[in-house]
Amino acid sequence: MSPRLAWIQVIATLFWVIVIIAGFGVVRSWDTSGRLWPIAVALVALTLVRGGTAVRSVRSWGYAERDDDLLVRHGLLVRRLSIIPYARMQFVDVSAGPLERVLGLATVTMHTAAAASDARVPGLAGPEASRLRDRLAALGETRSEGL
Amino acid sequence: MTAGSRQRLHPLTPLLKGARLLATGIAVFSWNGYERLGPLHWSLTVLAGLGVAVVVSTAAWAVTGFQVAERELRVREGLLWRRSRAIPLERVQSVDLVRPPLARLLGLAELRLEVIGGKRSEGSLAYLTAGEAARLRTRLLSLVSGRAPEPPASEEGAPTGPPTGPGQEGGAPTGPGQIDGTGPAERVVHTVANRDVLVSQLLTVPTWLVPLGIAANLVPLMSGMDWSFIQVASTLTALVGVAQLPVRRVVSSWNFRISTEPTGLRLRHGLLETRSESVPPQRVQAVSISRPLLWRRRGWSRVRIDVAGYGAEATLRVGTLLPVADQHLARAITNQVLTDACGHRDRPVDVTRLALAAPPSRARWLSPLACRHLGIAVTDQVVAVRQGPLPLFLTIAPLTRVQSVRVVQGPLQRALRLAVVHVDTAGIRLPLIAYHRDEAEAHALAETIATAARAARRGAPAARTTS
Repeated sequence: MSPRLAWIQVIATLFWVIVIIAGFGVVRSWDTSGRLWPIAVALVALTLVRGGTAVRSVRSWGYAERDDDLLVRHGLLVRRLSIIPYARMQFVDVSAGPLERVLGLATVTMHTAAAASDARVPGLAGPEASRLRDRLAALGETRSEGL
Repeated sequence: MTAGSRQRLHPLTPLLKGARLLATGIAVFSWNGYERLGPLHWSLTVLAGLGVAVVVSTAAWAVTGFQVAERELRVREGLLWRRSRAIPLERVQSVDLVRPPLARLLGLAELRLEVIGGKRSEGSLAYLTAGEAARLRTRLLSLVSGRAPEPPASEEGAPTGPPTGPGQEGGAPTGPGQIDGTGPAERVVHTVANRDVLVSQLLTVPTWLVPLGIAANLVPLMSGMDWSFIQVASTLTALVGVAQLPVRRVVSSWNFRISTEPTGLRLRHGLLETRSESVPPQRVQAVSISRPLLWRRRGWSRVRIDVAGYGAEATLRVGTLLPVADQHLARAITNQVLTDACGHRDRPVDVTRLALAAPPSRARWLSPLACRHLGIAVTDQVVAVRQGPLPLFLTIAPLTRVQSVRVVQGPLQRALRLAVVHVDTAGIRLPLIAYHRDEAEAHALAETIATAARAARRGAPAARTTS
């Protein structure tokens, strides 16, 4: 995973902090009792902590292309590992949000017939994303043993 | 195959989609807004809305493109969140031409690609001219059937049956004209006694709540002595609501018969409306035998089944395989369905012989009651998971239906070195979740299941193409 993914998370977190502060600003203009401040501070603190863990959470992502399946692992608090056989692939998505595009990143998602399958690999640099997409598509085709 | 150049949708698309966007907008704001703004301002607002909708749709249209490359359909779309999707044509179950009224007026059509397990169309090309859509459909279908061993799964997506069965497929759950008369090749295996259905439903928790619900409704009525029409009507509605579930279950399980056909099992049931459902073995994702607490003294079980479909058919799913049965029968029917689903009639599946492995004893810290009942077993044909105690159930899935395996570990579990193994199939009703396995064992299990599933897929009959 590109470390730039952490930037996306930090920026997204900052965005939410700004939204929250703005929200409280609006509320405060009506309510002058000032009881809302502790909540606002707590929220800001929470989001800052979230931003702080961004780097670690990005590092927790990992994927491995094995002979017959793709391994994806992620998560700090709740750790997840998925094994998704190429033979089960139905289609591959490459998606990129506005922030991701600015930083030249993309997310590759492999879809199977099971909605629960978790084969999302975020924060790939553009060329790597295309490479993975093409490789998955090619493998999905050659390894296809029927559904 | 020639790699086609990148193509665009029809230039009228933005207008159509814009109109749809606007219609939704009007539906949301309309009457309220109309009253407040007055006719002139209202129509101006609508015009402005239309303008915005068309601009947005035009921009979306400009970045949308599709391409038939090799054996893939590539669709690119999204204004802010860009997405490019590659759909291998082997996986396409059906290609449908859809013509909504407004589009038909303009001579346009939408092309929808269905893949199995998808809740909605995963690939939709809207809009193309009708002629172009028809041509593209023909081309895609020829590519779909080009290398795949099955005939083009266009109309029904009907896969060819296992080698032993004839090619006909009972995919449609309610075959016209087959509701009552049993077909020539059909043999009734079992009839569930209506008395058992009634008694078994009396022994479920929802039924026990009915008298409570009735009492809760009647007491205020009696004490208040307010016999107004509204009062009576609302009480009646509430009573119907309370009693609905058990009554509906009894009604739909009435005269429950299971028969065998060359292609698999067929179920007929219902008091008011006789339903006939076939269980296509190729689409069975999982089977579960459950034993509700109050049924255990009688040794009764309920067998449920998860059958995957796609597109519109996904809603017509068989749910209950046996509303109530003794252990022996429940297991026999389960064995039969699983054997058919695995596709090896010479190697029958036997759920009584599963060697369920219990979780480590420290799992009781997390689930003191359930711990005793948890278990998982992997054979060369199926994977089974047991959970409990309310209700106690065993869910079994053919290994050929396993889509992916996941190991999930929460913070508490990490402290106890435990992990949960999820086995994903295309079904959604009967998830296979093995709780609280030893950490190392969970990873080994995931690996075992992945390997065994691969081996099972390779050994499966080639004609079986659909899960």
